[in-house]
Amino acid sequence: MTCHEVGCDRIGAMLLREVAYARPATVEEAVSLLSEHDGARALAGGQTLVNVMKQRAASPDVLVDLAKLDELKTISVSGTTLEIGAMATLTSIIGSAEVEVSRPILAEVAATVADVQVRNRGTLGGNVCLNDPTNHFPPLLVALGATMTIRSSQGERSVPADEFFIGVFETAVREGDLLTRISIPAAGKGTGDGMAGVTLGAHGTYVANAAASVTNGAWRVALGCVAAVPVRASAVEEALGADVDDASVRAAVAGLGATLDPPFDVHASADYRRSLAETSVVRAVLQAAERAER
Amino acid sequence: MSTTPITSQVVTVTVNGERIEKDVPARRLLVHFLRDDLDLTGTHVGCDTGSCGACTVHLDGVPVKSCAVLAVQADGATITTVEGLAGDELTPLQRSFHEHHALQCGYCTPGMLMSASALLAENPSPSEEEVKVALQGNICRCTGYWNIVDAVVAVGKGGAA
Amino acid sequence: MTAVETTETTTLQRGFVGQSVPRREDRRLVQGEGQFFDDVKRHGMGYLHFVRSPYPHARIESIDVSAALELPGVYGTLTGDEVAILTDPFFQIAADPGGQVRDYALAVGKVRYIGEAVAAVVAETRELARDAAELVVVEYEPLEVVVDARKALEEGAPVLHEECGGNMSYTGVWEWGDVDAAFAEADHVVKISELHFDRFNSTPLELDGGLVEYNRGTGQWTITTNNQFPGFAVIMMAPAMRVGTDKLRIVTQDIGGGFGNKITSHPQLVACCLLARKLNRPIQWTEWRTDFHQSMSHGNERWFLETEVAVKADGTMTAFRTKAIDDAGAYLRYEPLGGVIWSQVAPGMYGWRNIRVEFTQAMTNKAPVSPNRGYSRMQHLWFTERIADIVAQELGFDRVELRKKNYVQPGQMPYETPNGCVYDSGDYPKALETVLELIGYDTIEERREEAASRGKLLGFGIGSTLDSGTNNFGQSQLLNPDLQFSGNNEVATVKLDIFGEIVVTLGTTPQGQGHETTAAQVVADILNCDVDLVHVRVGHDSYWNSHAGFSGTYASQFAVTGLGAVKGATEDLANQMKTLASMVFQCPVEAIELADGFARIADNPDAALPFMALGAIPNANNAGFPSDPPPMNARFVYRPAFQVPDKEKKFGNLTLTYAMQIHACVVEVDPETGVYELVDYAAVDDCGTRVNPKIVEGQVMGATAHAIGAAMFESFAYDEEGNLLTPNFYDYHVPHTLDMPPLKTAATESPSPFTPLGTKGMGEGGGGGIHCICAALQDALRASGGGIVTESHNPYHRVWEMLREPERSRGKVQVTGR
Repeated sequence: MTCHEVGCDRIGAMLLREVAYARPATVEEAVSLLSEHDGARALAGGQTLVNVMKQRAASPDVLVDLAKLDELKTISVSGTTLEIGAMATLTSIIGSAEVEVSRPILAEVAATVADVQVRNRGTLGGNVCLNDPTNHFPPLLVALGATMTIRSSQGERSVPADEFFIGVFETAVREGDLLTRISIPAAGKGTGDGMAGVTLGAHGTYVANAAASVTNGAWRVALGCVAAVPVRASAVEEALGADVDDASVRAAVAGLGATLDPPFDVHASADYRRSLAETSVVRAVLQAAERAER
Repeated sequence: MSTTPITSQVVTVTVNGERIEKDVPARRLLVHFLRDDLDLTGTHVGCDTGSCGACTVHLDGVPVKSCAVLAVQADGATITTVEGLAGDELTPLQRSFHEHHALQCGYCTPGMLMSASALLAENPSPSEEEVKVALQGNICRCTGYWNIVDAVVAVGKGGAA
Repeated sequence: MTAVETTETTTLQRGFVGQSVPRREDRRLVQGEGQFFDDVKRHGMGYLHFVRSPYPHARIESIDVSAALELPGVYGTLTGDEVAILTDPFFQIAADPGGQVRDYALAVGKVRYIGEAVAAVVAETRELARDAAELVVVEYEPLEVVVDARKALEEGAPVLHEECGGNMSYTGVWEWGDVDAAFAEADHVVKISELHFDRFNSTPLELDGGLVEYNRGTGQWTITTNNQFPGFAVIMMAPAMRVGTDKLRIVTQDIGGGFGNKITSHPQLVACCLLARKLNRPIQWTEWRTDFHQSMSHGNERWFLETEVAVKADGTMTAFRTKAIDDAGAYLRYEPLGGVIWSQVAPGMYGWRNIRVEFTQAMTNKAPVSPNRGYSRMQHLWFTERIADIVAQELGFDRVELRKKNYVQPGQMPYETPNGCVYDSGDYPKALETVLELIGYDTIEERREEAASRGKLLGFGIGSTLDSGTNNFGQSQLLNPDLQFSGNNEVATVKLDIFGEIVVTLGTTPQGQGHETTAAQVVADILNCDVDLVHVRVGHDSYWNSHAGFSGTYASQFAVTGLGAVKGATEDLANQMKTLASMVFQCPVEAIELADGFARIADNPDAALPFMALGAIPNANNAGFPSDPPPMNARFVYRPAFQVPDKEKKFGNLTLTYAMQIHACVVEVDPETGVYELVDYAAVDDCGTRVNPKIVEGQVMGATAHAIGAAMFESFAYDEEGNLLTPNFYDYHVPHTLDMPPLKTAATESPSPFTPLGTKGMGEGGGGGIHCICAALQDALRASGGGIVTESHNPYHRVWEMLREPERSRGKVQVTGR
């Protein structure tokens, strides 16, 4: 799924360093293992972590396998909030009736991540905790105004998506912490969501993306791929009104690229990414607007 | 009573219907466990980033890339590899691959068969698009995929409307 | 003028040949029972991991393996210092200065590309070998890096191989006809300052590797591997290791794709051999994907600079001249053969009679280049297609009509090109018509309008390409007159075993081309028996004595050389069988026919000997014959009739056959993002007589997929510091199922007059896809700035740049006229 972490151009690959492994039966046990052992890391689906460990780009000393923690895999609606367990696989999100009814964009986007094998193992929690700038869910969850619940030996805390993503592969989940669930407001009338971008081949890695969400004329727009963390396009959000069309959206987005400092790599120059970012925002916004009207 | 992390353990797995117990280091990948420890060499390694799907097996009934799973994670699980598909006869899927020239060098074929058989188990008459989505995680460099997709669609007798 | 020999094509009973007989290889492969080298295990084997350089160019100050050796489970190590003592440098194909390159199994003294192997560690498990490799301490003194072949040729560039005095490995002027006169008489001259064919390869899914055993008693190595050109491998390995070639037994069974990229694994195999001997245990080495991307078989990257095309008012292209700069990477493993192989198709499919190419090859701090599907012809054919397309567009000619007019015409076949190559057969205009029909050419403008209504730029492109097959290795002498290589060969044996079983061995190393199946088809037709009775042994084994110096599977030739050998051996066996039957029945040989598994008297079918009886007689029951009963065992070496080319004039027949493919595609470009999609695709191929049409079509499809990948996604991109930016499948995206366009294919058959079966080698024609995608993009861009496609590799960002700054690419083209 993602191997952009710290130089996959390393020499030598494919086999993990020695590591210790535990598969706790309860969340409490998982949390104490994570806090007791220095260099312990949660192992969710492993689609990124195992591959990163193969490259030896990261080598935790202890892997705490969350596979037995069924309470982290549930998807439910509680009032007007969709609660997705951190260990819910992308496949389960795609097939979930609750997601379909409450916030279908999550299933739509999940269905474009990599491939079936990865989706069968990959989890929503893993996707957000990694915080690879090209990942699908960080910008989407910021646009949806999600809230992350983190458990530690000190108890539980909630972190809004806007504050969850902190830096290069860094989130509010620190050593000893465990992300347990992601809460997303259920979409009501007047809410529309959109996500657009350019990938390297069908269902490939994003080169640029943007997620947009509108509720009764109030916009949230987040960009991925242009910085270490999702970037809220606040100026664009303010310029967008309740009624949007192609021309007004383009006017609102004009100049966005110049405010960004995106990386350049083999797939895109900084200028190209700026341009793609603007186009992605326009398309995500138009998609969200169209859906809000349904 | 807290679990103590271990650097190796005995894993118990059911592979192709057979119950197996083996001591493995925690760091061993499932694909190497299958190939090197169990001599099931039908599952192949084609890359080192979890990208190619040549290592695809069924883990508790769903297709996964066995290079992105540790053997210890499979403790207690049921695994099917390509060797476990055919009985005395080739399956209709294997025969369809043969009839449609859906393999040339055969290296991606086990992975393709595992992904396709998983699809057919839950969707017996997939459309061309559904087949492509199901095989999106399996790279082939010989066939260009067209014959492979045809072979899978043919098993489902032409797919849903 | 080269003498052209026309061989009578045997009238084979078209029984199995010509039918899409389902492959016998499939049964084991669909059950996961194929045997790829990594599936093979030996007791006590040690796993090898190479320590590789993180620097693209550096002096090796020291290597300390002591910490690695202390790790429990480590069996031993090997370093460049040992290699330099135990072996001689590999033979170099190049004349000086390239001939001075010193290439060994491990880096000696210097590293010259990122990922170059500097040491090897062997341990009890794969993981331990990997751990131990990390403990090897190598001290490097980094040196200045050069990654651009053009810069590598400049004064003052960092030099990779000091012994060569510079980075140039080969340079030569290739000129035929009267180029200056043609330009003087031209009505138009189209100048293109720069065209660039990018670096990529076919990334076969199985990686390189070997399991190497050493027999101390006999000094014999057994190398179970997937090297696809054992003939070349032992010619390289044996002298370096100071042993006879028979000491290197090469065994292959199933190979997971080759495409030319498994030809130059001999350095790694030598390291394995040395370690097998040193450590007295079998050595298991499997390359990692990242290793392959960093160090193995990149395709030739080529610049075409200062190109000029002479054109008459009616659109006839009469001459071209260009300066080609080829980037060989850090070592010359199969190079500089790329410097001559392009000339097999010097005029492409067109009737140019006046050609000048100044060809220079340079070494750079990048992975060594080696054959990649379409090797060196693809680069040149892309060049000829680009210039045809650009000429048509800039001078206002219809690109279909321009091609038809300039193509070599069917009436001219066999056609001798300006440099003495002979295009054996083919009807290019007809194939072009066929592909246009397949893709619905007459609806293109309508589709263009419809796409425009959706905001998309539609483009249509044609890519014509030749697949020259069965090399005359004498062409190597055009690069280095001292080489003692010429001609070509392949071997097969066919016998009847004691119980009448027909057993065939080949010298080839198939990687999915269906050799077992197609060989059986040919044998069955000659012996007039059921194809299922013919048993073809799997893979290659030098112990079978069924190979010769050029044995292997590469360069589009099996249908000619391999099947030619099979045909020859089977005809020999058939004669032996009839002779034996005539001895038994005491009748003339002519009276005997082979039918239904018997040798029988044609007029009296009851007088019949089953194959089993024929097999038993010489093997177990041979008394009572006045003269020796034939042994029911035949070995045949197929040799195509080649001359050594004229080295002065660089003139002569360099390949026996010319298969052809014409591709056409429709793209839709998103003008805002440069993202484009292939919405329609068609390919027509002609490889002469098709032994197994479905297998042929499979090759066309696979080559098309490779071309799509190369055009849209795949590039071995390096930064200025020599770092490979696409070292694995994460950044080096290859096409997956959802990336493939709808595809229609068709075939025409123009049998070759020069081959035993009328077949032509095929499988490498996919360059056609790169050509047509470039042409389609350029067509799409006409509606938005008219950018000119000058790169073979056009990822989205490049298309976006051409849309944004069309003047940049347009500025590379200049038209002058009377």
